[in-house]
Order: sequence, then structure tokens, then C-alpha cells
Amino acid sequence: MIYLDNNATTRVAPEVFAAMRPFLTEAYGNPSSAHSLGQRMKAAVERAREQVAELIGTAHASEIVFTSCGSESDNWAIGGFLEQNPTRRHIITTRVEHEAVRNLCAHLEKIGCEVTWLGVNENGELNLDDLHQALRRDTAIVSVMLANNETGVLFPIDEIGKIVRENSDAVFHVDGVQAVGKIPIDLKNSEVDLFALSGHKLHAPQGVGALYIREGLKLSPFIIGGGQEFGRRAGTSAVPNIVGLGAACELAKNVDGHDRIEHLRNKLEDEILRTIPNARLNGTPDRARRLPNTANISFEYVEGENILVQLDEAGICVSTGSACHSTTHESSPTLQAMNVPYTAARGSIRFSLGRYNTEAEIDQTLKVLPEIIGKLVEMSPYDEELKALYANRAQL
Amino acid sequence: MRVDAGLAAEQFSNLKNVGEAATPNFTGRSASFACGAVARVSLHIDDAQRIDDAKFKVAGCTVLVAALSVLTEQVKNKTTAEAAVLAEDLETIESGLGPEAADRGDCVLLASEALLEAIRAYSDSARDQWDGDDALICTCFGVSERTIENEIQTKHLNSIASVTRACNAGAGCRSCYPLIEEILEEVNGK
Repeated sequence: MIYLDNNATTRVAPEVFAAMRPFLTEAYGNPSSAHSLGQRMKAAVERAREQVAELIGTAHASEIVFTSCGSESDNWAIGGFLEQNPTRRHIITTRVEHEAVRNLCAHLEKIGCEVTWLGVNENGELNLDDLHQALRRDTAIVSVMLANNETGVLFPIDEIGKIVRENSDAVFHVDGVQAVGKIPIDLKNSEVDLFALSGHKLHAPQGVGALYIREGLKLSPFIIGGGQEFGRRAGTSAVPNIVGLGAACELAKNVDGHDRIEHLRNKLEDEILRTIPNARLNGTPDRARRLPNTANISFEYVEGENILVQLDEAGICVSTGSACHSTTHESSPTLQAMNVPYTAARGSIRFSLGRYNTEAEIDQTLKVLPEIIGKLVEMSPYDEELKALYANRAQL
Repeated sequence: MRVDAGLAAEQFSNLKNVGEAATPNFTGRSASFACGAVARVSLHIDDAQRIDDAKFKVAGCTVLVAALSVLTEQVKNKTTAEAAVLAEDLETIESGLGPEAADRGDCVLLASEALLEAIRAYSDSARDQWDGDDALICTCFGVSERTIENEIQTKHLNSIASVTRACNAGAGCRSCYPLIEEILEEVNGK
């Protein structure tokens, strides 16, 4: 199997599993217990906290709180701050956030908050003047993702943080789920107040995430109960998963692999765009402003689901921005916000690479893809449009 | 969403009849506002009103693609009347595609509509070109205007459904529905 769906989830790294293993077998204590087994667990959790803190460059490890997933972190950050500050009900976010933020803000809008939704241009980039103008005295929170999960487009959080800080009292929340482990992050030198991450995107297991809470910032608890996580998040710590997340962060610090992944992504992207006439890139062509592992490509006038099924049959896992649910066909809100025409949005495929992909796998993908697209082009009822595209390409 | 490996997926990997039927052919299109899928069916029909070639083109989900592949295969060597009856039997088509098509009635309907539209295009053309003494109304079942008028008069019919029951007119592709309606109004003095 060739797994090119690493933005969806990643394989647990062997190093991560090895670190977790004792905590799934002999080390089964509760870190809240006073006995020595409990204290061993507690030490493991604190070590993991330091590993996470180091990867994302926080000033203090105590600013990291473990959660169950990225969505919990996002929900807690936004919901917890609003609860703490009941007089401030204005939120600024973008149209291209992950569902964890987008659907939460849509829900908050329904129950009385005011939400300003920032749009993006056709490259998927924000206009920072829009943000500047949207900021108000009563703006409670600005929530912007660092890397888009579908296109990999990066938002300039350093710049955004400065604008937020200089022009408002709002806190700045960043959904960093898709970026952590893929690009360097240095929170202590940024204006980020809250930062969500998820373990399974960087080779830790599913079921563990973290929220960075800048020292001094108070959030109402999201889960009420015991005094775990210094009283900030109740619930018995998921020690094996937390240890896994720590080990994954340690692993991700070694950036040697990142260049290799980027090289493979570039090869895949360049070759597809060069050889397949109805292929077009979604997201800025400026690779410095995109994640190094993601290529989101639309194959115009053909169906993404068809491509996905055929690639799957060839042993290649990808994902598509077009999801058919019997009666409604939802094309991705991100691609919609980017004004991608629906005949292209329907045929969008996200290739997301990871540390275990090899050049041979990319070559194999490049070998089977043109044939699959060719078959679907032959099947497409948009004959005239495709003929024009293919004729243009032939002339070049 | 991924369609689980099953009959529809199997049809998909073993597609039949992609393309354009030999000319002159008759074409039907369908499209869904809900999902944006577009389908096109083309038929080549011989002098005995038999479909000797059926092809399709489509941009849509796997279930729709599979439905078109199956449907175009099934209507080959059938008369337009037989094909129309088959296209309207959505439940049978769905069950032939396996469980993954069970809640995808809209996709199957889209396939059936494209096929019916192609048959209607043929029927309209055959009706226009008909040079018999008596105007042809239902091309699928070869029912003339005079027959329909007689049936309405003698049996006091007042609906399309009753005309269809009496003489089969309108039992196929239904392209003659407006014409039967007109005859009903004329004969019944409306």
C-alpha cells in the first residue's frame, strides 16, 4: 500500500510505539497516585510535556495541557475563553478553517456570538487588511489556522499575531494541528496565546492532543472533574498516548526527513502538472507558503471520487475534497472559498506525504495516475472543454 | 466518501459502453442540481426500433457510473419500448448494483433519466418522420392518433393513465404524454 493521506492521519512510528509500550504493559499506574508507580507515570507525563513544549518552542512546559484530540483543544480554547469573558462576544475566524473551528464558530453564531468570517483569495491566502478592519474593541478571540488541512497553504501567524496585539485586546488562537511536525514553530517569539495540536498527525497514536495556553491566560475548564493537568483539564491522563505524543515530538525535531518529503512532494506535483493537461494546483504556487508535504490538485471535468476509488484499487490512498452524500454533493468549503470552479473542485485530490514514503512509491503513483485520469477524461461528458485543454497543452 | 468495494465498485473497474454510439444516434442528458453530476447517453437504433448500440459519458459518483454501465448494457438489443420500461424500474436497477446503491436512489434516477431522454429524442424524431396516413402518437408501442381517439370515445376515457391501460399508448418513454393530453381535451370537448 502507498499511503499518501498523511494529513488525515499518520502511521504510529516504531520509536513512538516503543516508548509507549511499557505504559501499555507493566507501567499501569495512575499519575495522580502517590505511590512510586504513580510517580513513575507522572514523571513520564511531565517528560512528554517538555518534549511537546520543545517542539513548538514555548517559554515554559507548563503552558502545555494534554487533551484527547485537536478538536477538543480548539473547542476548549475558543469556548473556554468566551466563558471566561462573558461580555465579549465577537469572534474573527476564516472560511477555510478545519471543521473543529468552522463548525464551532457557526454554532456560536447561532447561539448569540457575532462571527466575522475572513475570506481568502484564489490562492487560498488571507488579506490582512480585512483582519485589521474586522478587529473591534469587544473582539474576544481571533482564530486562524497555521496550515490548511486540504491545500497546505500557510497563514502568516507571526504577522497576524502582531496585528491582533497592536489593534485589539483579543486573544489569538491558532489551530496548528496540520502544521506541527511539518514546519518549525516557535511560540515564545510569537503573539500566539492559544495553540492546538493533535498527536496522530505526527506519528503519535489517535486519541491525544494538546493545547498551548500562554502563561497568565485563564480559560474556563472544558472538562470539569478532578485536578489533573494542574487543575486545568480533568480526566485521568492517557499516559501511553501522552508518552507517544512526547516521543513523536522528539522524533519530529529531527528535520532531516522534512527536506526529503518536500523533494518527493515537489516531484509528484511537478510531474502531475507537467504531464496531465487537465490538472491544476489548488493553493498558492509559492511553495514557501505551503506545507512541504501537501499537494492538492484538481483534475478538471472528472470526478474526485472516481479517481480515489481507482487509485485505491491500485493500492494508493489519497483523499478528495468532493464528498457525495446521496442527495447533496458538498464540495469542500475551502475550495469554494478559493473560488475554484465546481468542475475543478469536484475533481480535487489531496496527496499528503509523510516520513515513510519512498521515491519508488512516488514513481509508482506517477505511473498509474495518468492512465486513471485518461480513462476518466474519456468518460467525461465535458468533451469540448477537455478537447480544448488537451489541444492547448499539445501546442506548448 | 468512499464507496465500499462491492458490486458498484466491481462494475466500475469493469466498465462497459463508455463513449458515443455510432451515428446517427439519439442523445439524452441528465444533470443534478443537488450534486452537480452530469450524464449523457447515446443510442443507435435500427429500423426495427431496436437499440443496437448504447453508450454513455459521465462525470459523477461511482454508483452513477456503475448504473450507466449496467443500464446501457441491459438495453442493448431491446426495443425502445422494452428499454423505457426497464429504465423506469429503478428498484430493480438499484438491487442489481448491490448494497452500496441502496440509499443512492438519486444517482440511479440520474442514469435512468439520461437513458429515457435518449429514447424520447428517438421517439420525437420517429414521430416527426412518420409518413403513414394516420398520425403516430406513441412510437414505443406504435399507437396511432386514430386508435387513441377511438379508445377515448368508446370507453369514455378521461386520463392519460386510462388511455395507457386501454391501448398501451404512453407506456414507454412517455414522450407522447402532452399529445395524449391534447387528444383527450379535443375528444372530450374541452
